[in-house]
Amino acid sequence: MTDELLVVRAQLGERAALAELVARWRVPVWTYVRRMLDAERADDVTQEIWLAVIRGLPRLREPARFAPWLFTIARRSVTDRLRGQYAREHEQAHEAPAADDLTVDDPVDAAVDRAELVSLLSGLPMPEREILVLFYLQDLSVEDCAQICEIPAGTVKSRLNRARRLLRAHLEEKGYRP
Amino acid sequence: MTEEPRLSAREMIERLEPALSRARRVRAVTSLLSGLSGTAFLTALWGGEPGPLPGRTQVMFALLTVVCLAWAGYGGWLLMWRVPLFATDRVVAAWIALAASLATTAALAALAVQRGTGLGPVLAVGGLFVPAALVLAVLAHARRRALLRRARELDGRAPRGPAT
Repeated sequence: MTDELLVVRAQLGERAALAELVARWRVPVWTYVRRMLDAERADDVTQEIWLAVIRGLPRLREPARFAPWLFTIARRSVTDRLRGQYAREHEQAHEAPAADDLTVDDPVDAAVDRAELVSLLSGLPMPEREILVLFYLQDLSVEDCAQICEIPAGTVKSRLNRARRLLRAHLEEKGYRP
Repeated sequence: MTEEPRLSAREMIERLEPALSRARRVRAVTSLLSGLSGTAFLTALWGGEPGPLPGRTQVMFALLTVVCLAWAGYGGWLLMWRVPLFATDRVVAAWIALAASLATTAALAALAVQRGTGLGPVLAVGGLFVPAALVLAVLAHARRRALLRRARELDGRAPRGPAT
């Protein structure tokens, strides 16, 4: 069954279709959130995202565009959480040095992030990391990434190029050679 | 090692259940409709008083009207931001709204006849609520029909076999 059919059925009020939609997209959404946030917050934010999806689903006009719509909501939730985190860190800046990267500097995350790609992604700046996750891990098109991140397609391409350069540099630092 | 979400799909659905509960949808629709009907009823009673009312009675009318408006606002807020109304729910809600509008108009008309006041304000209120509810019902049916049609089209196109 296609995503569009599942969305249409869910919009009609079929609970089973909604459950199937959640089951199908649970891991991709969580993966995106986890690449942006630490494990503890990833679960909370994922739940917030699904709540927003359920509330907004009856108003979704293009069921065929479910994936970009879903990741737009996910991105908004992640951004809100990061904004709150940055504000708190800013307030506490004079008391203790703030972490440069939320997922890299957390010791729990460091223990958990064993996959090479994950550790590499964690070393990238947030905008480049986000684009890589959406484009390569979620297989979304440049146009969909642009819609989700609310930036022009050209900016998506330039961020992808920069992200690739940064990844290559990180790989070379670790001794990989193309 | 590959990380996995801590919550299974079933656990996630269970956590989302409160937002999907029927009781919550019924509460939202009931709050909105009873608030609007109450406001219309009180306004008609207040405006239809033959003589000048004492100050304390005026205050009570105003307070009760504000309470009804608050319930209507609460119901509207729930429906706008908190409780999802899917296509089938909207059809049911629109018919409930139509029934409530007709009942309110009939009650107001009966009151006006009993007190000998004009039917003009009653017809104005009914003329506002009943067509609005009818429009909502027509739109809800149209949306549901469109979704059902699309589901049939997609179902016909979908490949048979295990879910992708």
